[in-house]
Amino acid sequence: MLVATGGLAGAPLMRRLFVRMHLAMCGHCRTFRQQVDTIARAARAAGLAFERELPEDFEAKVVQRLLPLGEGGR
Amino acid sequence: MVCMIGGVVQLDDTYLARLRRRDPETLRSVVDEQGRRLYRAARGMGYSTQEAEDLVQDVFVTFIGSLERFEGRAQVGTWLFGILHHKSQERRRTVSREELNDPIDDVFESQFDARGHWVRPPIAPDRQATAHETARAIQACLEGLSPVQRDVFQLRQVEELSAAEVCKISGQTVTHIGVLFHRARMKLRECLERKGWGRSR
Repeated sequence: MLVATGGLAGAPLMRRLFVRMHLAMCGHCRTFRQQVDTIARAARAAGLAFERELPEDFEAKVVQRLLPLGEGGR
Repeated sequence: MVCMIGGVVQLDDTYLARLRRRDPETLRSVVDEQGRRLYRAARGMGYSTQEAEDLVQDVFVTFIGSLERFEGRAQVGTWLFGILHHKSQERRRTVSREELNDPIDDVFESQFDARGHWVRPPIAPDRQATAHETARAIQACLEGLSPVQRDVFQLRQVEELSAAEVCKISGQTVTHIGVLFHRARMKLRECLERKGWGRSR
């Protein structure tokens, strides 16, 4: 459960050690951990694909819209 | 339950003053640092390319207008993602509420017997599937998440924000963030298992 909720990193040391020991012994839980890691990698890869959709001048366009709201436009 | 963020560094006064003065260079650096992250998150939350671009512009306009209230206790990124979250909820015209019970909880529970042993062992992800194939498969599977699960998944998994930061952004408790993140991952896991983890078929 700690693996699935993302709470493992913040769990107390003894709990983390227990989970690690369990993962070392239980093949199914290691596979589950592998699934969770694969989802993380795939989600980040999907995120990078979204970023590539943006035109190169994206930031410039945003700044262009913001500047009139700045010092002179208050 | 309050959102506890450990080790938050107070923004230095000069930076904050430059932001409040709407110093063009400082604004430019904020857009350079956060613009693409916000766009990526908006797309991950289910908005189209055009909607996501508009949403990001809208977030920065609101950011400029809210600088007087920004005390520098949160990171600029957390503040911007908070605005994105609220704008997203406005656009959906409804505050997404998570059901107390989600069918995925029963699906997950059914994988274990009374002693907590696996009765339906997990299927190992296909190592041959490329990251690109799995990424494409996951994009389709994201459609199966509720809006609130999708938002939390995006912020926790893709943007790698801590549960405490997401708690601050969304106003949910840390425990609830954990539940939403768990449900999102389990739904994606079920969906990807059905799709053969991105294997071309």
